[in-house]
Amino acid sequence: MTDEAAVKRIWVFIEQEEGRAHQVSWELMGAATKLSQELEGSRVEGVLLGYNVAHIAEEAYRYGASRVYLIDDPVLEKYRNLPYSIGASQLVQKYKPEIFLIGATTLGRDLGSSIATRVRTGLTADCTELAIDPNLKILAATRPTFGGNLMATILCRTHRPQMATVRPRVLPLPEPLPTATGELIREPLDLSEDDIPVQHVGFIPRTGGLNIEYADVIVAGGRGLGSPDGIKLLEELANLLGGVVGVSRPLVDAGWISYEHQVGQTGKTVRPKLYIAAGISGAVQHRVGMANSDFILAINTDPNAPIFQIASLGIVGDLYEVIPELINQVKAIHQGTERS
Amino acid sequence: MANKLTFDAIVVGGGPAGTSAAITMARAGLQTILIERGRFAGAKNFFGGVLYTHALDAVLPDWQSRGPALERPVTDTGYWLLSPDSVLRFTQKSERFKKVPAESYTALRANFDPWFAQQAVDLGVLVITKTTVTGFLRDEKGRVIGVTTDRPDGDVYAPVVIIAEGVNNLLTQQLGLAKSDLPPRFVALSVKEYLGLPEKEVEARFGLSGPDEGVAIDVFGDATLGLPGTGFIYTDRAGISIGCGLLLEQLVINNLKPYEILARFKNHPIIKPYLEGAERLEYGAHLIPETGYDRMPTLYTDGVMVAGDAAGMVDALHREGTNLAMIAGKIAGETAVEAHKQRNFSAEFLKEYRRRLQDSFVLKDLKQYRRMTDFLDSTPHFMETYVNFANEAAYRYFTAHGMAKRDMEKEIIRLLTRRRSFLGVAVDMIKLLRGMRG
Amino acid sequence: MHTVVAIKQVPDTTNVRINPETGTLIREGVPAIINPYDLHAVELAVRLKERFGGKVTVITMGPPKAAEALIECVEQGADRCILITDRKFAAADTLATSYVLARAIEALQEEGPIDLYLFGLQAIDGDTAQVGPGVATRLNVPLITYALHIESIDPEARVAVVHRKTERGIEVLRTRLPALLTVLKEIAPVQRAPLANMIRAARYKPEVWSSTDPVAFDQAQIGIRGSPTVVGRAYTPAPRQAGDVIRVSELGLQECVRRALQNIQASGAIDLASIASAKRPTDGNGGEHS
Ligand SMILES: Cc1cc2nc3c(=O)[nH]c(=O)nc-3n(C[C@H](O)[C@H](O)[C@H](O)COP(=O)(O)OP(=O)(O)OC[C@H]3O[C@@H](n4cnc5c(N)ncnc54)[C@H](O)[C@@H]3O)c2cc1C
Ligand SMILES: Cc1cc2nc3c(=O)[nH]c(=O)nc-3n(C[C@H](O)[C@H](O)[C@H](O)COP(=O)(O)OP(=O)(O)OC[C@H]3O[C@@H](n4cnc5c(N)ncnc54)[C@H](O)[C@@H]3O)c2cc1C
Ligand SMILES: Nc1ncnc2c1ncn2[C@@H]1O[C@H](COP(=O)(O)O)[C@@H](O)[C@H]1O
Repeated sequence: MTDEAAVKRIWVFIEQEEGRAHQVSWELMGAATKLSQELEGSRVEGVLLGYNVAHIAEEAYRYGASRVYLIDDPVLEKYRNLPYSIGASQLVQKYKPEIFLIGATTLGRDLGSSIATRVRTGLTADCTELAIDPNLKILAATRPTFGGNLMATILCRTHRPQMATVRPRVLPLPEPLPTATGELIREPLDLSEDDIPVQHVGFIPRTGGLNIEYADVIVAGGRGLGSPDGIKLLEELANLLGGVVGVSRPLVDAGWISYEHQVGQTGKTVRPKLYIAAGISGAVQHRVGMANSDFILAINTDPNAPIFQIASLGIVGDLYEVIPELINQVKAIHQGTERS
Repeated sequence: MANKLTFDAIVVGGGPAGTSAAITMARAGLQTILIERGRFAGAKNFFGGVLYTHALDAVLPDWQSRGPALERPVTDTGYWLLSPDSVLRFTQKSERFKKVPAESYTALRANFDPWFAQQAVDLGVLVITKTTVTGFLRDEKGRVIGVTTDRPDGDVYAPVVIIAEGVNNLLTQQLGLAKSDLPPRFVALSVKEYLGLPEKEVEARFGLSGPDEGVAIDVFGDATLGLPGTGFIYTDRAGISIGCGLLLEQLVINNLKPYEILARFKNHPIIKPYLEGAERLEYGAHLIPETGYDRMPTLYTDGVMVAGDAAGMVDALHREGTNLAMIAGKIAGETAVEAHKQRNFSAEFLKEYRRRLQDSFVLKDLKQYRRMTDFLDSTPHFMETYVNFANEAAYRYFTAHGMAKRDMEKEIIRLLTRRRSFLGVAVDMIKLLRGMRG
Repeated sequence: MHTVVAIKQVPDTTNVRINPETGTLIREGVPAIINPYDLHAVELAVRLKERFGGKVTVITMGPPKAAEALIECVEQGADRCILITDRKFAAADTLATSYVLARAIEALQEEGPIDLYLFGLQAIDGDTAQVGPGVATRLNVPLITYALHIESIDPEARVAVVHRKTERGIEVLRTRLPALLTVLKEIAPVQRAPLANMIRAARYKPEVWSSTDPVAFDQAQIGIRGSPTVVGRAYTPAPRQAGDVIRVSELGLQECVRRALQNIQASGAIDLASIASAKRPTDGNGGEHS
């Protein structure tokens, strides 16, 4: 039996909406598992708040949590800052985790700072890398600053928990263990609806439903397209590859396509398995949004374009020749598989 | 709209001319507003460059105690004649340059202009930035009584307006004082880079013994591909300003891009070692009016005076512009103060501005060098021919070839005449002298 | 209606240069600007003042130079600006910053009621988005982050309906006032300030508060002492390992594309053969929820 009080708890906030967990929670679970291997006497645990969400704990065990703390209460049905931050802070004060990781989603960024302020500890935002400092045995949380021009590793030496938010899609999603189980600890929340100053009075779902952050394949174009018609070509290839279209900022500024498609510092951070950058020079503001892609294929007429410095493979050539040929050859592969 | 915004005087533009005018008027007690379109005075201003203390003395006698934003005193100055592989230097270094304050200082306008404008503020000038003057308010007789700006409720009234808008003199043109944009024959386009380099490194490379010494050099010949124009190299406190300027017309005729010329200049085998490892901190392009005395705009009209680059007050030969601008601004300011005393803002009265300028070096110099631009324009080969010849001749002169000295002298003359006929040389020299003498 | 806006002066990150040898930021020559989001917060406050009357107070904690940013707020229409500046505040992280701002706001509350607190979504130098939520928590006022639009606001009844942008859409939230909003740029387009504002700003001197006067800040909670987080190391991001670059002009079009597909397949990133049957990752719900 371990001494519960001595356990170094590495907590992951399990973000859920309408009873479904956000993938970033499992990405964090994977990161927490790695951290726990470096930190003696530590254990990965999940924190789950919501209403009628106990089933999500099962999923959390499979991604590596040995325990899940659950506050299940009607006031938590939809996310609001006050009840969530009070609930989570109560858990922190009671169980004194060593590390607390939260997804840097709109929800997580809203919540994280409130918890850190309530329990008076440090919080490192928007991390891209987590590690245990080998000497100090504390969390070394690395994040980009100054528009991605500089990386800073932040330490929180004396305050606990050490908190960090991590952008979705920056860390890999681990493989779940289908047989894993764990312990569910339920905690109460002593709040009534009257205590809460904010109410949901409506919701306007996003139209279009595009979510390039979670696409596996992105076919992206830049100013090299030359005209808005080029986007159709990107779409054709994207459809063929089961992906979506991304763009650099000038195309959005020019009104050729909506902001939802913009990749980069002021657009989306993406981490697809395949990123095709056609006619994109590779300015730092664009790169910070896509440099974590697994495979980057760059197509550019200019052999000195900076995009080639980060491309897994670069083709110096005209995108209006290369992309149609890509479309041809991918079609050929598909036909080949259908026939066999 | 609320109250009419009314001042004693309006100054358009926060460069040397405008700020000098505003300082002069504020010190005489006029409620003065200076309107500048940049994010701050000097935000987009830029020159070589060298500032002359005689002009600062005139405008702001106690400038030394106000912590001026200057780079280095000029203690080593002159010309370099650059051929594709050599340089011939005519520079002077003198103990006389070592007095404090020096005659001239290198400066960066992004630092100097805001400092200068701050002195105006301290003296009571209301400096409004991020606001562009777009036109004029007139009374029923058509006299200028204020300006319009690009801001909501942006009209400002004053009986006298001093236009110091710089080389793109749209307002001067709007008033009909200048005919139109200067033709490309009479505008030079300059590009410059400010390169950062540690102080000690600047000093080591240019043979300076400390921050109290500095270099200002004009480079002729290969710096501008031998075309009419100049290159320049100035030492700043922790950096080097390097650039070149050519008549716009030459750029157009020869289909040249100014940045390419500068890049080539920086890569010249003689120049490159000075710049090794320096980091580019600032670059830009700016026009220099080579208007010449004979094409200068009318300097005044009812309620208006024009000063500085807006009126073409640049002596390109001696790379003087800021001092002409400052003195002209000062004189315009003094004239405005007089006008207030007499309550007379008519063109008839403001003529006094031009009269006083004529007594100063400003118009005297501009008159003397009235033909300089014409000379360069009509002698586009001048730089290349003579600079290359001078280098070639010097090379022969300074090396031994086992040739009789007399034969060598003949050889040198032959070198010159191969490039240009005797007659041609004679004509060039006469033209040059005329350009210098006026 | 009295609105308090917190703003920060930040280096214009689009001009940031890094010293490649030391890996540190070269601040020299980098222009300082008002954090772009904050500009919209000030604008919103000014629009609300035009509608309901009242005043706009702007506060910032920063170096003396940050006074420039406050003066820009007066240009936009702010009435009163406070610069909280002291060497002792230096190197504050978001916890210490939110302490100082919350304490300063408490001091302002003593002078009279405040109806609304506006913060930018995030400061572009650090992109943390933590200070607003931290201050709301300390002041114990309702927090709405990612505020996109104010549908209605009633200073009398002390309620507002605010649109909040999330990944999935727009939440419509009713909140009690006073509340604290962190705003997106869409909340109010910045309008060009009238000349009279520029003139007022040119003559305006912000109030300056130190760490002891007029508010005695708890010295243990400010600056480096009050900051749990420290920067352990800063460095320029390692460039990603570049792969081959092949040229259509050398290998021909078909060969280049053939190699590209071969490389993609070999990397294991995706399986080109099976991908045809894969679904697009967009199912009305936003595919992030598994
Ligand atoms: C504050 C700030 C934030 C920013 N945020 C973002 C952001 O979030 N996302 C973003 O993308 N940018 C952002 N930018 C803009 C960024 O700095 C670049 O300007 C932008 O990314 C350049 O887009 P581009 O590569 O499409 O265009 P360019 O740089 O013009 O490059 C076009 C490329 O196409 C190539 N090309 C031309 N024709 C062809 C052809 N026929 N075939 C193949 N190649 C061709 C050219 O060689 C060139 O390399 C931001 C800038 C600032 C200042
Ligand atoms: C490359 C280069 C090198 C030079 N080297 C030297 C040198 O070494 N020594 C020297 O003495 N001179 C030099 N000069 C010349 C010198 O820079 C100019 O002569 C001098 O700056 C003129 O001052 P000014 O006040 O007339 O105009 P400017 O300095 O151009 O100032 C005009 C101001 O008016 C503002 N403005 C314009 N229009 C409006 C409007 N409508 N509303 C509001 N504001 C407006 C502008 O933003 C600007 O701040 C050089 C010039 C160049 C380009
Ligand atoms: N030093 C500061 N002074 C005043 N307001 C600040 C300061 N730092 C941050 N803020 C406010 O908090 C917002 C978010 O900043 P940050 O949490 O640093 O990303 C900013 O947009 C400002 O409104």
